[in-house]
Amino acid sequence: MSLEKAYILLGILVFLLGLLGVMIRKNLITILVSTEIMLNGVNLVLVAVDSYLGRVDGQIFALFVLTVAAAEVAVGLGLIVSLFRLKGYEGSSEIVHLRD
Amino acid sequence: MEWVIFSFLSLWLLVSVVGAIFVRNPVHSILFFLSSVLAIAGLFLSLGAELIAGLQLIIYAVAIVVFYVLVITTIPWEKVKRFEGIYKRELIFGLPAVSIIFGLIAYLIIRGNLAEPVGTVGDNVREVGRTLFTSYLFPFEVASVILLVAMIGAILLGRKEE
Repeated sequence: MSLEKAYILLGILVFLLGLLGVMIRKNLITILVSTEIMLNGVNLVLVAVDSYLGRVDGQIFALFVLTVAAAEVAVGLGLIVSLFRLKGYEGSSEIVHLRD
Repeated sequence: MEWVIFSFLSLWLLVSVVGAIFVRNPVHSILFFLSSVLAIAGLFLSLGAELIAGLQLIIYAVAIVVFYVLVITTIPWEKVKRFEGIYKRELIFGLPAVSIIFGLIAYLIIRGNLAEPVGTVGDNVREVGRTLFTSYLFPFEVASVILLVAMIGAILLGRKEE
C-alpha cells in the first residue's frame, strides 16, 4: 500500500470517528467539537490527494473549508448559548420539541 | 523516513481523536481536539502544504479552541456536569455501523487505482496564491461574504432579549 492511500484512509478514519462522536456525545458543545473533527478529516484527504496529484486546487478547497468551519463555530456556539439562556438546555436529549 | 513520520503523526492523531470523542469532561475533550489539530498541522507540513499548516495553526488552534473554552466558561458547571459522557445505546449501534462503512471504503481505496499525477509544485505558497487569485477569485470573494453573514448572525443570536 502506497503512502497516499494510507493518508486517504487516515483522513476517512478521522471523518468517521467524528461522525461517531456526533452520534454518541451527550453535550451540545462536544457535538460541535466532533463536527470540527469531521471537517479536519476532509481537509486531510483534500491536501493528501492534492499533494499526490501535484496541483494546488485541493489546498484552496481546504482553505474554504477552514473559512466555513470558522463561520460554523461562530453561528453554532451562538445558537447553543442562546438556547441555553432561553430554555436552559445543555444536553442533546433535552431538545425534543420543535416549538414550545 | 516518510513512513516513520506518518506513523508517528497518525498514531498521535488517532489517539487524540479517540480521546476527544470518548473522554467524559468537555474541557478535556477540547484539549484532545487541540492536540489532534496540532497533529494534523504536522501532517500538512509533511505533505508539503506549508500555507494550510500555518492557517490550521492560526485558525483552529488559536481562534476556534479559545472560542470554545470561552463559551464553556459562560455555562454553569453543574449544568455541564449533568450532560457529560456518551450515550451507551447509541455507541452499541453506532460503532458497528461506522466500522462497516470504514471497511467498505477501505476495500474500495485499497483495491482501486489512483489517478496519474499531472505535475509538480515548486513553491507551494506562490502557487496557492496565484491559483487562488486567478481561477478561484469569485469563490474567494464569496467566502468573505460568508464570514460577514456569520458575524452578523452571531451578533444577532448572542444579544440579550429586552
